[in-house]
Amino acid sequence: MSTILILVKKDFSILLQDKVSLLLTFIVPFVLIYIFGLVFHVNSSDPGPAGIRLAVVNQSDNPAAARLADALRAEKAFKVVSRYVNRDRSTRPLEEADLRPLMRADDFRFAVVIPADVVSAQAPGIHLKVYSNPRNEIEAQMVTGILQRTLFASVPELLGQSLQARARARVGGERLDRFNAAVAGAVARTFGGDEEALRARMADGDLGLGQLGGGGTGRGGDMLSRVVNIEAVQVAGNDVKSPAATLLVGGWAVQFLLFAVTASATGLFWEKQGGIFQRLLSGPVSRGDILWSKFLYGVCLGLVQLVVLFLAGEALYGIEIGGHIGLLVVVCVFAAAACTSFGMLIASVSPTAEAARGIATFLILLMCAVGGAWFPVSFMPPFIQNFSRLTLVYWSMEGFSQVLWAHATLVELLPTLGCLALMTAAVMAVAVWRFRTGRIFD
Amino acid sequence: MNGRPPLVSANGVAKRFGPVKALDGVSLDIASGEFFGLLGPNGAGKSTFMSLVAGIRRLDSGTLTVDGAGVAAGSASARLALGLVPQHIALYLELSAERNLRIFGELYGLRGAKLRERIGFALEAVGIADRRRGLVRTFSGGMQRRLNLAAALLHEPRLLLCDEPTVGIDPQSRNAIFELLQELNRGGLTVIYSTHYMEEATRLCSRVGIIDHGRILALGTIDELLARLPFEEEIRFPSSPQTRALSRELEASGDVETVDSVHRFRPRAGYRMSSFYGLTERHGLPARLFTSQRPTLEALFLQLTGRTLRE
Repeated sequence: MSTILILVKKDFSILLQDKVSLLLTFIVPFVLIYIFGLVFHVNSSDPGPAGIRLAVVNQSDNPAAARLADALRAEKAFKVVSRYVNRDRSTRPLEEADLRPLMRADDFRFAVVIPADVVSAQAPGIHLKVYSNPRNEIEAQMVTGILQRTLFASVPELLGQSLQARARARVGGERLDRFNAAVAGAVARTFGGDEEALRARMADGDLGLGQLGGGGTGRGGDMLSRVVNIEAVQVAGNDVKSPAATLLVGGWAVQFLLFAVTASATGLFWEKQGGIFQRLLSGPVSRGDILWSKFLYGVCLGLVQLVVLFLAGEALYGIEIGGHIGLLVVVCVFAAAACTSFGMLIASVSPTAEAARGIATFLILLMCAVGGAWFPVSFMPPFIQNFSRLTLVYWSMEGFSQVLWAHATLVELLPTLGCLALMTAAVMAVAVWRFRTGRIFD
Repeated sequence: MNGRPPLVSANGVAKRFGPVKALDGVSLDIASGEFFGLLGPNGAGKSTFMSLVAGIRRLDSGTLTVDGAGVAAGSASARLALGLVPQHIALYLELSAERNLRIFGELYGLRGAKLRERIGFALEAVGIADRRRGLVRTFSGGMQRRLNLAAALLHEPRLLLCDEPTVGIDPQSRNAIFELLQELNRGGLTVIYSTHYMEEATRLCSRVGIIDHGRILALGTIDELLARLPFEEEIRFPSSPQTRALSRELEASGDVETVDSVHRFRPRAGYRMSSFYGLTERHGLPARLFTSQRPTLEALFLQLTGRTLRE
């Protein structure tokens, strides 16, 4: 057995004795992948947020307003609060004046008031008041979006009522009635139906939006999707059950791989301080043996970690790695080598283990954010996207995606593997030079 | 030297760390089978010399050979001929004693039955065979020091470099290490032992080199070194208001040093002890206050440098 392999075996022996490191290497990323999978509803049949407490105060006697309140109640994203609980546990309908104190007490962070003038001749559109005390911008945007969707999908007649009221104010009731009668007559003559009933429905704001696409119920249904009919054509990954999981597992796996191999590389400091280098270097072990054993250990550890986490991804989210295990292992080896070289570089340029940990943490988080480990690179501003391609995280994620999403062949993977190999070679060259000229072996 | 050919030979060895001269023209020969002590205070250059002999660092100038081979070139035969006991506990604390020895033994090319035999010998030799499966981090400081020594013996080196191997350990472990080293030396092992404890050098070493600021100040057997002192005995008496006047008067006749509230008077050559006793009578000090001791290497170091070993 060569010197390097003995040292690699030694590092694995130490790892197996170190329960905290094992936990951080395998269990913590697994737990985080699971939690983030739940957060982002990976492979969930019922995606989207749930249970956001939303107060609803209905001040309108418009039947459509009551239907809107019911639709909000039926919306999974919301847990609607519409009654105020008195001290004696009795309840009464929630009023607008109750909202501010209850929101300050964090009973709920969002409230919708459907005012008496929800549809008014004086103002165009539908009048709603939304109170918010958002803890974060994303949550507020989400609530607003769901409200708008519910409004147009469930009670489109409110929009019709608004148009009717506005028209009545602008052109007068008599002319509007004549217009409605003319349209109802034309529809009845052309398509059939009771002219008087059509005219009454138009006056009530029901312009037939809910029946777009046919088979309507008189309510909106998914009216918006009928108005804008998008035909999606997917050119890759049609048979991939879990595209989001690939990104999720790959991202967290690379991040924790970087932490693990950097910790391993900074272990060089502890071995130096403990006098281990003196003992090794006084025997038949060279500096090169020590460095390359650390590199090989990092690659092996990274490979094991990545494969274990992808297997966990298969168990949790059905990522299909069975047919691609060979190429996935190839990408994992190249990604692990690149990550390990990064760890070696950090250890080589840092004066102490503590400094190395600080520098590594900053750079790892930065690379993961910019490189697309947390969210797609396309979410980022263009100037940051330019930097993404300079990170090993980006190319590692690209490799995973090519194998698991696009089912790329080895030839198609070569450019990505080449980038990872080039990064590894360049970074290791600098690291080895720094180790030679630095004081780690003094 | 014991008449045998030198196992280690240094000639004008120099080593700098930036502006600091760690070794400045060190020349000495250490014969095969010798128990050689390198005595000096912290920062004197002992560990640097050890690291050069071990081939860990490169010397700036001079020549240094182990077993006839230049260590500067990183000779494989020189490396296999020596075992190093570093000043630190150079062990993997998370692993068991046996696992540690297995790793170091394998690195020296030991395998199978031979490896098991050498591990068994080393653990028995340092008295921790019953704790072979215990994790090193659970060991006492003394046990760790003993295992530190055991790891250097696995490959049966001809030269053992002990760089302050007993720092911070209990007397029992220290004695165990001393006895083992003496036994190994009797068996033919050459030992270079660095220390700043003159008691250790006196007890263990057949020959001692006194080093300070990177230079060998004196070299020889204990008797040869002590013979350099201009006095044959050292008189000690407690420091108190009653003895203060005597101490001042004695300064005219030799060196008076005060360590831990004890005056140490080392008379100049030719000083008559009858003069001393006359002085004590004149100051009305009883004879029981005074003890006479043979001079030590500490006194020689003081003589050579004007400082104590612990300064």
